[in-house]
Amino acid sequence: MNISKYIIPVLVLSTMFGGYFLRHAFTQPTTSAIFESSQSGGNLEDNLTLTCKVQGVKCKGTANFFTKLYTDIAGISTLETVASDHKAVFTYNPKVISPDDIRAIMEKPIRLNNGSTKQIFTCLEMK
Amino acid sequence: MKIRYLRWSLLTVVVGALTWMALGNGERSFEAYCPFGGIESLYGLFREGQFTCALGPLNLSMLVAILVLTLLAKKAFCSWVCPIGFLGELLSKIGIKIVPGKFQISESVNRWFKLLRYISLAAVLFFTYRTGELILRGYDPFYAIFSGMGHGTLGNVTILVMSLIAIGSLVIPMFFCRYLCPLGAALDPFSKLGLIKICRNEETCIECGECQTACPHGLAPQDTIFLRDSDCTNCLECVEACPEEETLNLKLKL
Ligand code: SF4
Ligand code: SF4
Repeated sequence: MNISKYIIPVLVLSTMFGGYFLRHAFTQPTTSAIFESSQSGGNLEDNLTLTCKVQGVKCKGTANFFTKLYTDIAGISTLETVASDHKAVFTYNPKVISPDDIRAIMEKPIRLNNGSTKQIFTCLEMK
Repeated sequence: MKIRYLRWSLLTVVVGALTWMALGNGERSFEAYCPFGGIESLYGLFREGQFTCALGPLNLSMLVAILVLTLLAKKAFCSWVCPIGFLGELLSKIGIKIVPGKFQISESVNRWFKLLRYISLAAVLFFTYRTGELILRGYDPFYAIFSGMGHGTLGNVTILVMSLIAIGSLVIPMFFCRYLCPLGAALDPFSKLGLIKICRNEETCIECGECQTACPHGLAPQDTIFLRDSDCTNCLECVEACPEEETLNLKLKL
């Protein structure tokens, strides 16, 4: 039996949209880091949560790199990144560090191997 | 409606959407939609549980979608969605108008040249898996064009490679798709199994050869009943070119 030639565009569109929605089936890695308690400074109960949407956190490699930026920063107790949502969640001590300071750290231009500097991460949203 | 206009409209929407993303709009990079990225990611995912460089879940789900599509309708992705296939087709159409004479490539040379795309696939996978980086971006027309020769391209080397591909496409229709595309090579075994095929009615066929002339890939539906060639993209150019009603059709065939 002959099939209508319009079956081809129908199949193309349905598989492409299907593929788009199937992306949720493949989760992207989440990294989490708990920093030294001394790094948070002060009382842990005083800590707040800050969620940032970060352009540049897109895979495990960039998420690890992002996490390293905060390894020695006083006032930050934990940092979790979710690469699939380009998201970073900080718990921080507001008496030691402010959301603007946290933002400035990620947006600071980074020196590359070839000697040039480049801003890698951009905070698109803070909550 | 001519099916070609429908196909070109869909391709124009794809090119428009990718350009919009490449200009920095939308949530994701244009690279996130490339199914070949799914192939490049597999090794890193199985070994280290991480996506290679800028790739992510969407690359993988698009790869799954394209494999399903190919098992159903052969390489329909290549002629209905892929922007590089579209560009190749447009360049071939320009080539027919501006390149004097008709450049003929013999069947045996064509067959040998097609092996190049397996070398291309092997090279991309080898270097990507070895380094965990997309280090062949400089040779990838999809990336070079939509990133506007962005990060990872190789300046004059990339310009030279892109120029050679463009010249090749003017002279030999679908030059990149036929001989260099690593995704096309990866899809070959799936396309061979593709269920929906071009079928020729021997009784009404007058053997005029119009179908082969119209085929961008130089395939010859007039030499067979069911076209099983893995290069068929179900673009349906042959069906529209055939002067005999109900002679070339689509049929389900294992
Ligand atoms: S164009 Fe139609 S009639 Fe002519 S050879 Fe091909 S199938 Fe036969
Ligand atoms: S055989 Fe027909 S459908 Fe297949 S690629 Fe050639 S023109 Fe397109």
